[in-house]
Amino acid sequence: MEPEPLLRASAGLASGAPGESLLSAALLRRELSAAPLRSPPGLSASLRAFVTLAEKTLRARMVYRFSTLLSVLASAGGYCIFLLVWSEVYRHQGNTLALSPAQAFPYLVAAFVLNFTLSSALESRAGMRIARGLITVDLSKPMGFLPWHLAQAIGDMLSNALLALPIAVLGLVSLGHGLAPPDMSAACLGLASIVLGFLVNFAISFLTIQAFFLTDSYYGVAFTRVALHQAFSGLSAPLVLFPEPLRSLAACLPFRHVIETPARVWLGQVDRLEALRCMFQQALWATALLVLGNAVFRVAVRRVQIQGG
Amino acid sequence: MQTPGFFLELFWVAIKARAQYRADFVIGCATAVLAQLAALSFYWIVFSNVPSLGGWSGSGVLFLFGMTGVVLSLSELFFNGIWLLPLYIIEGDLDRLLLYPVHNLTFLLMARPEVHAFGNLLSGTVVLGFALHLAPPPALAYFLLPIWVASGAVVYTACLVLLACTSFYLVGPSMHHLMLGAHLLNASRYPVNIYPKALQYLLLFAFPLCVAAFVPGHWLQGEGSLLAALVAPPLAAALSALLAARVFARAVAKYQSTGS
Repeated sequence: MEPEPLLRASAGLASGAPGESLLSAALLRRELSAAPLRSPPGLSASLRAFVTLAEKTLRARMVYRFSTLLSVLASAGGYCIFLLVWSEVYRHQGNTLALSPAQAFPYLVAAFVLNFTLSSALESRAGMRIARGLITVDLSKPMGFLPWHLAQAIGDMLSNALLALPIAVLGLVSLGHGLAPPDMSAACLGLASIVLGFLVNFAISFLTIQAFFLTDSYYGVAFTRVALHQAFSGLSAPLVLFPEPLRSLAACLPFRHVIETPARVWLGQVDRLEALRCMFQQALWATALLVLGNAVFRVAVRRVQIQGG
Repeated sequence: MQTPGFFLELFWVAIKARAQYRADFVIGCATAVLAQLAALSFYWIVFSNVPSLGGWSGSGVLFLFGMTGVVLSLSELFFNGIWLLPLYIIEGDLDRLLLYPVHNLTFLLMARPEVHAFGNLLSGTVVLGFALHLAPPPALAYFLLPIWVASGAVVYTACLVLLACTSFYLVGPSMHHLMLGAHLLNASRYPVNIYPKALQYLLLFAFPLCVAAFVPGHWLQGEGSLLAALVAPPLAAALSALLAARVFARAVAKYQSTGS
């Protein structure tokens, strides 16, 4: 049986005559350009894929339960050092600091729970895939690079929220109403601010990922992001306790909107107008960083070199 | 192949291999400095609100910060391979490593130095130097300093080995349980006497991560004894190393491959 010209061409078989060979090549080109493997997915299919990916990420985090539990304990143990240092500071200084202990400790517990909930494995996951060349698979997904990572970040956040829940309950039991929002409006604003904080954090991470395309190891860049987050997000203390130069610098950076802003809005430590102003800044930072990340991605992806395994 | 010369050569080759990626080397060192600065920002926040912490002056706590930085860097430089044990077990690489005719724990520890350790070493040394400049110690302290930091690095590595041994029994890709050791080491940045009694016991006796910094620092503050500063850090290092080697050997003896 005579093979089809397209199959022959794709199998690299020589044709009988030069004219026939040219015809086969032209047919192959037309076949590939006219018939893509699959038509682009519609909105509902894209949303379904987005939700499924988020769910799969959540499930993947729960596979190694003991390891995940240890990570919670390690993070909580590490954060206890901050709490103990502040306990010592307040034992000696009492109410003379800019924030009373009744405000500072609920803030610190809320900051830890938020930090744990909003942290994601986005950078390490993307870094490893870029280093191993697997990123080619991600780039060929019809969902798009940004939504692909956003879905995974949502999955991470949901699993972290489940794990952080016992710590939040423990905090509520030990600190009483101090950790709960004072009224319903503070709770609603707090929840909205947490969502915006998640978006700011995701946007920073997405921008960080773009640098991985330019380096052989993602570790250094990711670590820089973590260091900046630890110093300027308000994780170790609210900005009001920062010395002046550090406070001014932190106020100019987006990191405070990941931890400090949602924590203070949730706890009702800012009035409603100030809360709305802070949330507007959060939305602005999230939008600007996402637009910038997407723009940098378009340039960075052209520079990626896959070594071929 | 069991001689120290072999392991030094292995370490040197591994360092050269890691330094091949020059940009990563520079970025790694720069980020380690940044991480130390991030930790120092908390020191700044605390001391902008209080004059002393647990009876320790700013320079005393800065000494603890510097010591912790140098201890961390030495462990990362010479014994960093332990961080990869969970992955070696899952991916089956440990099976191959156990067949080498070398001391397997030493080989595992020294085969993968971390280049950003140079950044931690630089920043830790600068902070330590600044702390000693602010409160000049007796001349003897300069001779004891290498013993203190080496002891601290051995204790920290031994703690990581003990934590990593849980990977033999609870297989998983995560290294988060090793982070517990890193967090406990961070506790040595502050005076141990500010912690609750149970934590003090944990950090000075069970996992003596604070001994190498706190005990000498206590002596330099004019409160602790010279004998304790002289004996406690090397003793803690020797006992920790012995315990870690024993536990690792037992875990390896019972190890069954994951079949990867």
